[in-house]
Amino acid sequence: MSVNEKFTSIRKGLLEFLVLKVIAADKVYAADILEQLSRTEFATQEGTLYPLLSKMRREELVDYEWKESDAGPPRKYYQLTAKGREQLKETSEYWQKINATLRNLGQP
Amino acid sequence: MNKVISINLNGNAYQLEEGGFEALRAYLDTAGRRLESNPDKAEIIADIEEAIAAKFRSLLGANKTVIVEKEVAGIIADMGPVEDASGAAEAPPPGPGAQPAGAGKDAQGAAPVPPARRLFKIHEGAKIGGVCTGLAAYFNIDVTLVRIAFAFLIFAWGSGLLLYVLMWLILPSASTPAEMAAAHGMASATAQEFIRRAREGYYEGMKTFGDRRAYREWKRKFKSEMRGWKREMKWGLHPLSGQPPPAGAWIALPVLNTLISAVSIVGFIALISLVATGDVFGLGFFVWWPFWARLLTLIGIICLVRCPLKAIRRSYYGYPWGYYWGPAGSLWCILKWVFVVYLVIWIFGIHAGFHDALYHLPPKLHHAADSVQDWWNRQ
Repeated sequence: MSVNEKFTSIRKGLLEFLVLKVIAADKVYAADILEQLSRTEFATQEGTLYPLLSKMRREELVDYEWKESDAGPPRKYYQLTAKGREQLKETSEYWQKINATLRNLGQP
Repeated sequence: MNKVISINLNGNAYQLEEGGFEALRAYLDTAGRRLESNPDKAEIIADIEEAIAAKFRSLLGANKTVIVEKEVAGIIADMGPVEDASGAAEAPPPGPGAQPAGAGKDAQGAAPVPPARRLFKIHEGAKIGGVCTGLAAYFNIDVTLVRIAFAFLIFAWGSGLLLYVLMWLILPSASTPAEMAAAHGMASATAQEFIRRAREGYYEGMKTFGDRRAYREWKRKFKSEMRGWKREMKWGLHPLSGQPPPAGAWIALPVLNTLISAVSIVGFIALISLVATGDVFGLGFFVWWPFWARLLTLIGIICLVRCPLKAIRRSYYGYPWGYYWGPAGSLWCILKWVFVVYLVIWIFGIHAGFHDALYHLPPKLHHAADSVQDWWNRQ
């Protein structure tokens, strides 16, 4: 397994966290999320995002509401639930801890 | 020059080159299969269709009305393969011959289930004991019709009531998904296969969108195909095809059914006998006890004999070991029989016609009927 492939699985595991972060900032619809992620190393496609969003909704991390749009049919705008915010906070803290561990481990 | 096919995505029509249509259909089919076990499958597919539609819209304009094959391929590449986020780890990779997951999985417990159509009580949507819902599922008719039929029969000297109570006592309840499927005469995996084929046929029909004659032709073909599948699936439901039943089921099940029915009927007659004469078949059944204690003891004995038999029978329907309701189940069983006794007394007491009908039955019953009426008149 090349280093690059290892990164793939890390990215996959972190995607949910990133999506939580994007949704936390503002009410967004799926294309917004993809657009914001596309500028990062977490660039994702619809085929992955839609099943993930539906899973997160089933786990009650996110919720959506239908909103009219100027172009085309109404869109699903996603927002975090209380549980989603809680999970985002926990994951952020955990991520800080991992960062600290990475920095400090092996240091004299 | 290329042929153009109109399709309907979330309620809007788009025109695709034929090759593009094939590619899109393959993509959506694969997506559907990968999401087979996902509870939100329909919603995700709708979302994906809408995302594709949005991409189509961005390509189309006043001077461009058709999506070419290359554009469809680009959009599909852009969408990326649909991955099931929830079940990616545990689900086997989908491919030809992959088992349709879902309800069918539950059916494959330790013991395989004979997928034949069987008569069950169904408590889902039941008004009283689930007998009517079970009959409706078995004969594939509206449950209301069955209820009306029973209501009519009740006026026929209470025979509907008696029939209902007897069936209530004798029929097993459908409580596992496998039993539910058997009650409707469909192995659940087969039902899913049926739906999958119907959906594929539907995609086929999208090709004809906008062409009335082609649509009519497709509809005719689709209907006849559906009929063919139905026949095929009925054969698939034949107990000898599909999974083998547990060893000995073909001897054990009829024997068990007969035994349970026999116990129920003997118990029923014994109850009538006890109510009528204060004794069971003249055997001197705890005659020194008060009447209610004798009644409860008899009911208890009937339940004690029936319960293990029912547990064994259940073990042949997909449970590795029998099904045990616990004390609550036994209590329920006893309550049922108390209700039966009450009904018997009631019917004998007020329905002279019922009493007369029993007169033409064997002398034992005849005698019992007489005594119940006597007993009732004394009250």
